[in-house]
Amino acid sequence: MIDEYISFEQVPFGSESFADNPEPRCPCVLLLDTSGSMAGKPIRELNDGIQAFKQELMGDHLATKRVEVAIVTFGPVSIETNFQTVANFTPRTLHTTGDTPLGAAVATGIDLVTQRKQEYKEHGIAYYKPWIILITDGAPTDSWRQAAQQISEGEDKKSFAFFAIGIEGANFEVLRELSVREPLKLRGLMFREFFLWLSASMKMVSSKNPGSNISLPPPTGWSEL
Amino acid sequence: MMWKTIGQSIAGTSHLQTGKACEDAVRYAIALQPDGGEVLVCCASDGAGSAKFAAEASLFLTGQIASLLCAEIRIGNELDEAALLEMFELVYDGFVEKANEVGEPLNEFSCTLLGCVVYAERAVFFQTGDGAIIRGDGSGGYVPVWWPQNGEYSNTTHFFIGDAAFSHVKMQCINEAVTEVGIFTDGLQMLALNYESLTVHQPFFTGMFKWLRKATTQDDTNILDKKLAAFLAGDLINSRTDDDKTLLLATRLMDE
Repeated sequence: MIDEYISFEQVPFGSESFADNPEPRCPCVLLLDTSGSMAGKPIRELNDGIQAFKQELMGDHLATKRVEVAIVTFGPVSIETNFQTVANFTPRTLHTTGDTPLGAAVATGIDLVTQRKQEYKEHGIAYYKPWIILITDGAPTDSWRQAAQQISEGEDKKSFAFFAIGIEGANFEVLRELSVREPLKLRGLMFREFFLWLSASMKMVSSKNPGSNISLPPPTGWSEL
Repeated sequence: MMWKTIGQSIAGTSHLQTGKACEDAVRYAIALQPDGGEVLVCCASDGAGSAKFAAEASLFLTGQIASLLCAEIRIGNELDEAALLEMFELVYDGFVEKANEVGEPLNEFSCTLLGCVVYAERAVFFQTGDGAIIRGDGSGGYVPVWWPQNGEYSNTTHFFIGDAAFSHVKMQCINEAVTEVGIFTDGLQMLALNYESLTVHQPFFTGMFKWLRKATTQDDTNILDKKLAAFLAGDLINSRTDDDKTLLLATRLMDE
């Protein structure tokens, strides 16, 4: 019997079958101050900013699949939306109410992140370091020392990255004690510019392959450095 | 011809867009023991995107490790974990020297390391950082030697120069005849591994190993090696990953 002759130049070499893994997720929690002092123009600008955030992320095909947003408002503390991918995230118009239980809001945000990571692990979903972003215009009306402790522990263990953004009138002394990173001051009511920066940062993070380091765009345009 | 090996490192589209060179590297060789026994030596590395000398680092690391391994095998030294550690120290010192020469911090030479030495009846594997090594399970399937070492987060990993004591380097000796191995860097991780079941995506490899097993001459293998490069540079892969990617496949099985 004659051996079958194989012309290796002709063989279809490679694979057309790839593993069907879920996209790695890039979780982001917004802790938004909706206390009485935010009434009027501030809350309108904040609402507009969140809409712009969604639209910007929707324009990036990787960010659309990978970024997950959760919103916690205070006060009182309420989980406005739990983690959702950008496509499913439909921000409702936020209204102002009540006082500023900032400490409880931070604790809620950290709980959400911890739960989400657990869900990722259970489903074999890879993920990026969660971001928790606090935006406030006032001073906490509840005990925030515990929250400061949780933030510092979380940052130490690299469990998340916490950013504090103060609007005019915010108590920056408290924010400084709360956040390991220097808090940033929003220039005027440039929420839109802030959220454009945040979406650009999220796009950068979510486009990175495992192993690559991230350098974020500088927070210029919206912060008073 | 006992071992048939092909291996390619191809620049990702994100690197091509930014004008960056391929920062992955791959090296392989057959080293002959004093008694004539063939030993397969394979090594791959992925230079960190953040490191200034990523491309140089991965080339240097794979070149050094492969030639040191071959030298030891040729003089008949059995490679075990202790021998590997000594070798790593030598190469680490080489990196320190390089960093001093250019006056840059050592982490500008960050890169991962994946490799294996396969004897007739024994194999040694080593890895630091992400990417993965797979091997034939003896019954037609493939298993990962380890699950990829990302940190908790997708964008964190370990690097060779990360620890002078190499506490983050995994090493494993297996006392059995390993007949097929595959090595790939993290650019292919999500395509070749199933994360929910923590298993190798079998069809990704079976089709390619099928042809490599059928190869009977070095010419056949060379053709497959060229086809591997075309596959890694092709649209099918590029639509799924924009990162650099390395794939090495080696078999000593023959298929009729």
